Amino acid sequence: MNRATLTLLSLLLVCALSLVAAQQHARRLFVSLEHAQIEERRLNQDWLRLEYEQRNLSKSARIRDVARNQLNMVPISPDRTVYLKEAK
Amino acid sequence: MRPVGFSTTPNLVLRLPMWRSRLMLFLLFFVFMLLLLRAFWIQGPGNAFYEAKGVRGTQRELELPASRGKILDRNGQVIATSLEAKSIIAYIDTVPDDLSAEKIHKLAALLQMNDADLRKKLREERKQVFLKRQVEPDIAQQIKQLEIPGIGLNNEYRRFYPEGEAMAHVVGFTNVNDQGQEGIEYSREDALAGHAGQRRVVIDRLGRVVEEVGIDRLPQNGKDLQLSVDSKIQYIAYNAVKNAVEQHHAKAGSAVVLDTQTGEILALANYPSYNPNDRRYLTGEQLRNRALTDMFEPGSTIKPFTVSTALEKGVITPSSTMVIGASYLIGKKPITDTHPNGTLTIAQVIQKSSNIGAAKIAMNYLTPEEMWDMYSAVGFGQAPKIGFRGAVAGTLHPYKKWAESDQARIAFGYGLSGSLFQVARAYTIFARDGELVPITIERSPEFKPGTKVISPKTAQEMRAMLETVTLPGGTAVKAQVDGYRVGGKTGTAHKLVGKGYGNKYLAYFAGIAPISAPRISVAVMIDEPTGGSYYGGDVAAPVFSTIVSETLRTLNVLPDITTRQASIETVEPAEAHGVTHKTSHVLAKK
Repeated sequence: MNRATLTLLSLLLVCALSLVAAQQHARRLFVSLEHAQIEERRLNQDWLRLEYEQRNLSKSARIRDVARNQLNMVPISPDRTVYLKEAK
Repeated sequence: MRPVGFSTTPNLVLRLPMWRSRLMLFLLFFVFMLLLLRAFWIQGPGNAFYEAKGVRGTQRELELPASRGKILDRNGQVIATSLEAKSIIAYIDTVPDDLSAEKIHKLAALLQMNDADLRKKLREERKQVFLKRQVEPDIAQQIKQLEIPGIGLNNEYRRFYPEGEAMAHVVGFTNVNDQGQEGIEYSREDALAGHAGQRRVVIDRLGRVVEEVGIDRLPQNGKDLQLSVDSKIQYIAYNAVKNAVEQHHAKAGSAVVLDTQTGEILALANYPSYNPNDRRYLTGEQLRNRALTDMFEPGSTIKPFTVSTALEKGVITPSSTMVIGASYLIGKKPITDTHPNGTLTIAQVIQKSSNIGAAKIAMNYLTPEEMWDMYSAVGFGQAPKIGFRGAVAGTLHPYKKWAESDQARIAFGYGLSGSLFQVARAYTIFARDGELVPITIERSPEFKPGTKVISPKTAQEMRAMLETVTLPGGTAVKAQVDGYRVGGKTGTAHKLVGKGYGNKYLAYFAGIAPISAPRISVAVMIDEPTGGSYYGGDVAAPVFSTIVSETLRTLNVLPDITTRQASIETVEPAEAHGVTHKTSHVLAKK
């Protein structure tokens, strides 16, 4: 075996190893991408759930009940209201 | 003796014929050729099959989930949303038969079943069985942690309706497979439904996804849908109807609130209602969207249209007088009024809701064709095109088939039928100076041109008449609203029971507000009130009053009775946008 062959062989080996490393790296990245996507989905779901909870707490029936019974509020009526009108 | 080697012993020398070794050689060669050909086939042309087989070992097709669109009200508030849930599946063959009693008990507790039922399910003669669907994610997580072989979790969605009963008939609901069954969920299924995607991935020995090969189909989430309905107004209407039904021991009630400028449905409420979040009760009568699906004879609420036809023809004016009398015989049965009247003006016929008056206007001044044209033009006899399943057209028989007595009775609302929604819509012609407004249930807050039915002059005259109904001397003083001028028409119709009219009634009120610049059209119906009075003016008019007063306030409509109670102050535009100080000052002063 001469020197050229040896050089080529070692080059080939280096290439092969770097291919393996690159593939490994790609898979790692892919796995973290997957994780991030799952996380995104989860957060999205959390957001929807929180939106729903917020909505549930602010639904008309509850607001009315809290306002009337807990805060002792009464509906406004025109005789106790001052209406402001923009001057043209 | 000379030793002889074993292989050279003459005794063993066989004289075999040459062909045998040739045959052997050929057979060996032939078999090798076969092997070679096979190898060539596998490597070459027949390769695809094996490649596919290899891929199948490492690749999987995974579903990319897509969610159903949300439904929002006009202010962007969520009225239907999908949250993730899990379905619990048992793969019967994989579940061990000797599963410990403790684990079964734990699983049953999480599934809210009893142990015996769960055991029975696990012994079913099927490959797989749903143990429970639409389980909340944290409970599903606990089930997963039990680590029972053969118990799997599947992703799915569950629909939630925050407004519950109040909005039930508008939104409807979906089934466990996330398909719309009623209401908007059903009629807008195409837009709302999501379509799951699919992708191919490479998995490793442990089943983890390590690489994505490709996406076969992108997931398509359903579109969000914004309705014209206002949750607050809807709640106001629902509550008002509910209270009235309970107070008058009625069978049911409905209310419709329309925006006369944009043609949007602001509220569409029915009672009894149901909770769409609770799957156990999603059957039966209470599912019906009565305001759209129930046909009834509109009774006196039709009179303004009869009068409009005559006004439009120019044969009468609001101040024309006519002799009413105690009864009016047309056909077999005489027509009567609740309270006998002597001589009334046309305006008083509306104000006092005289059946005889309406019948005489029809018989003396109108042809059946003219009447039919009017009722038809305001929408009777045609199903409203708002995309609701079961929205009825009502009946309006061809005028050629009307007998004389039919014509007289149709003039005050018997012998034709429609839904409450149709009545509310028809009244928009009075609100809109004679135009019938196209109605929508999706948010579109711009002014809509309508179809001209009557002249602005007639519409104005009718508005004035409708207002007198709510003033002293009218049939619906209880429809009055603090701060706003309102107008409308009562209706008290005998209910058709079997073939005749029994002692059951429908109480209506249909009207518009505020009269000076009508913004909303409201129709209310209470079905079979039994606690005392059954008149529209006593039963339905107060509901109208409540709905109008709270709705106009919600919509920030300026009161049009300044003299009575409300005070209106004019402020500079700059102040109008930063009013806090001024407002608090003025309020403090009051």
